[in-house]
Amino acid sequence: MSEDKFTAIIVGAGPAGSTAAYLLAREGHEVLLIEKGAAPGAKNMFGGRMYSHALNRIIPDFWEEAPVERPVVREIITFLAGDRSTSIHSQDVEWAKPPYHSFTLLRAEFDAWLASKAEEAGAMVACNICVDDLLHENGRVIGIRAGEDEMFADVVIAADGVNSILAQKAGLAKMFSAHQVATGVKQIIELPEDVISQRFGVEAGSGVAQLFVGDCTRGMQGGAFLYTNRRSISLGLVINAGELQKNQVRVPDLIEDFKANPAIAPLIEGGTVAEYSAHLIPEAGLSMMPEVFGDGILVAGDAAGFVLNLGYVVRGMDFAIASGEAAAKTVIAAKAGGDFSKGTLSSYRDLLEESFVLRDLEAYRRSHRFTENRRLYKTYPAFVTSFASCLFTVDGSPPAHLLGKVLNHIRKSRLSLTGLAIDGWKGARWL
Amino acid sequence: MLKILACFKWVIDDADIKVDAASKKLILNHVGYKISDYDRNAIEEAVRLQEQHGGTVEAMTVAPPTAKACLKDALSRGPDAAYFINDPCYSDLAPAQTTSVLAAAIGTDIEYDLIICGEGSGDLYAQQVGPALAEMLGIPCVTCVNKLSYVDGEITADRKLEDGIETVAVKLPALVTILPDINTARIPSLKQVLGAAKKPVHNLGPDKLGAVCDCRLRTIGILAATMDRKQQKFAADTDGIRAAVATLIKEGVIA
Amino acid sequence: MAGIFVFAENAGFTRELLSAGRNLADNLGTRLVAFASGAGPAREFIECGADEVLVLPSLAPDQPTEAYVPVLAEAAKSENPDVFLIGGTARGKEIASRLSVKLETGLCSGCTSMSLEGGRLKMVRLVYGGAGIQTVECSSGVQMATIAPRTFEPAVSKAGRQGKITQLATQPQSAVRVVGRSPKQRESVDITEAKIVVCVGRGVEKPEDISLIRELAAALGGEVACSRPIAEELRWMPEDLYLGISGKKVKPVLYIGVGVSGQIQHVTGIRDSKVIFAINRDENAPIFEAADYGIVGDLYQVVPALIQELKAALKA
Repeated sequence: MSEDKFTAIIVGAGPAGSTAAYLLAREGHEVLLIEKGAAPGAKNMFGGRMYSHALNRIIPDFWEEAPVERPVVREIITFLAGDRSTSIHSQDVEWAKPPYHSFTLLRAEFDAWLASKAEEAGAMVACNICVDDLLHENGRVIGIRAGEDEMFADVVIAADGVNSILAQKAGLAKMFSAHQVATGVKQIIELPEDVISQRFGVEAGSGVAQLFVGDCTRGMQGGAFLYTNRRSISLGLVINAGELQKNQVRVPDLIEDFKANPAIAPLIEGGTVAEYSAHLIPEAGLSMMPEVFGDGILVAGDAAGFVLNLGYVVRGMDFAIASGEAAAKTVIAAKAGGDFSKGTLSSYRDLLEESFVLRDLEAYRRSHRFTENRRLYKTYPAFVTSFASCLFTVDGSPPAHLLGKVLNHIRKSRLSLTGLAIDGWKGARWL
Repeated sequence: MLKILACFKWVIDDADIKVDAASKKLILNHVGYKISDYDRNAIEEAVRLQEQHGGTVEAMTVAPPTAKACLKDALSRGPDAAYFINDPCYSDLAPAQTTSVLAAAIGTDIEYDLIICGEGSGDLYAQQVGPALAEMLGIPCVTCVNKLSYVDGEITADRKLEDGIETVAVKLPALVTILPDINTARIPSLKQVLGAAKKPVHNLGPDKLGAVCDCRLRTIGILAATMDRKQQKFAADTDGIRAAVATLIKEGVIA
Repeated sequence: MAGIFVFAENAGFTRELLSAGRNLADNLGTRLVAFASGAGPAREFIECGADEVLVLPSLAPDQPTEAYVPVLAEAAKSENPDVFLIGGTARGKEIASRLSVKLETGLCSGCTSMSLEGGRLKMVRLVYGGAGIQTVECSSGVQMATIAPRTFEPAVSKAGRQGKITQLATQPQSAVRVVGRSPKQRESVDITEAKIVVCVGRGVEKPEDISLIRELAAALGGEVACSRPIAEELRWMPEDLYLGISGKKVKPVLYIGVGVSGQIQHVTGIRDSKVIFAINRDENAPIFEAADYGIVGDLYQVVPALIQELKAALKA
């Protein structure tokens, strides 16, 4: 091969791609990182929060240089039903101290920074380039084609996001169905820094992550989110794409209704909508996971479906970063042996299984059976909120003990005790 | 050998500009930058002439050091090398200043036969630097060019003017400013983007060029241009359209 | 010697500058001097308010108008005017820019308005494609500005006005030779005069569909214009008809944008319309923020319905 060959061509300068590029370049390998957007992060979007553990292993104390927004010090889960909402707040001041459990951040800035780390380490970065196809020889992936240019590499890492054309072209993935993905829509609402801190009752510089279930999705599978950035709030909805299609609902209407909800409206009052964005999110976890390795090719990040949504915890970036790390390690080892065949690259899967990536996806693989339960989105939020409301109501009506109140509400919500118990058991086991 | 200089400016992408309606200020802190649109065509035209006639093309810009990303962009479009005339004091220069810095740089023995500039920059659109630079260098200038050809040391150009096309000819050295309909600027291919990293960049600054001259035209302020419109919506159905027409009649704008 | 100097490529434009210049001259208590291409226009300019007219020597057939630069420069250097206004045609802008170097002064290009404060001009122009309004002041000698056509009303001529007419001796000079001219085929319609303008935007999918927009314009008694990409990139309509900061600026009573997204460069060309109406299927299109009335919908359904409704309503 000509000297124009790279050890790795990484397609997609998101967290998975940039992490792989950074680690490979740091080891002195020739790496090309290709991004279809004008800049890394330009085409990326997420809810708003990254768990620090994965990146901290790769770039320790990354928060000292990375553009992060607020460390999240309080987690909130809110049930919405009609005029009522019930929330569980959980605060841990330790979360706002190093190593900072999680950060809210803005992807355009963050992804650009992570890609720049790769470039500093020696990776070549090319933006505004769309990769059209893989190059094959004797059944092996030997490079990529972008427009009329062909570039060769020992390994191609497909980190090209949720609808990975390359994983499909490599025969590793099938086109997903609408039910396997969710549509995420988001608005960035600007508010002064001190207003945000005051409204959410946190110290200057600390942040809040809030997930909602109930009315916000009008009974469809999904939820809403709110994350506090320094000078803005990331607010949005995640709804199963198949259900959206079936119900012919207009997402902009859903967002406006959500913003008008009395649980939300005072929090964003006076804010200016600075940005709208939408993106697809892989939802089906292991059941939609492609083969993640082949002869001369690895698949990382969203392209491999590495996203975990448990309702109370949503993770994508840490998976992406860790899978990028695993991909880099795999390539480094393969390069040492000069063998990039499927057999050698299968160590990628081993690394993923040893790491939290496949370990956690495996552990939670039944979560979908739970999150597909309709009752989660209408009946249970109604039940929780009306029960809580009744709990706190003092209006002279006849007294009842807690047990009586609960049973009463279960009956009123047309739930059966057994059904409730079974759902509770499933939730506890599978989430 | 035809030596061409293509001048370009790294400007704010006006699609990213936001407005604070209350204070009428432009919000420029999250803006992206790009090579000014007409300058892309200028670089493209220079490279096309080189493809036809041989010779060299060098790109040239005056910018603060933070604009470094512009070099990769410019070089990926075909020039052989770039002059990065950079210093923090080269931020927000008035046209007269940009002109004098360019003239000083070119005066440091940079050889050229033809200088190609965009007709105006995407941010200020003053349309001054091209002709002013020609005047300072003492070379002829042809503005508003949408067709350019070169034969034997002379260029022929079509100028698109209000009253029609004026075709002119002039011997080199000369400067032209071009209009965007002269060509379609290429989208750099992967190989061109990668090749950019290997091309030479010559840095120049005030230590060699001297201090920046007086701006001559001082900016007192820049406010957002706001529009106070009703922003009323009508539905796209029959009732909505009826209501829309009724409103227009009531406003007296149609009769 | 001071004075207010005005120069434009043609007499009509010069008369517009004369009205602005007369104002400044009166305020500063100085004389108004115009450049003319011959004796006839010179007398006209005197009648329109110039105190003095400097007659430019004629150009050889192969000399471009810019050959006047040395002539204008010499006149300005010897008279040292306070203000020099130049008509902002394409040629005028080049001339002004080159003069600003010769006179070592600053130039405000595309000045949209100006005011005197403490004897100096404060000038206003657009930046960032029309998103910003920049106020500038000349910190050097001669205050120069180029002004777009139709910024000022033409000066009214008053018979009997007296003034000085001087023939300039400096010869025009240019290394650039004109080797051909091909006059523009004028569009029959001057879109800037239309009272109702219906604008074709990128939302219109095929050039054949423009006939639908023409139908709408006909129902309203208006004219059809377009956004810049329709004229310059797609070439579906002549350049004379594109509205925007680099195209035509219109001030109709009613502007209807059909499938126009409303980028700032376009909006700058229509911002003085009395009523702005937008039809676009993207509710986030910037045009809706610049519009009085809007319909979010598919133009291929909305426009026919609109035409029908207009015909019914206007018949009544």
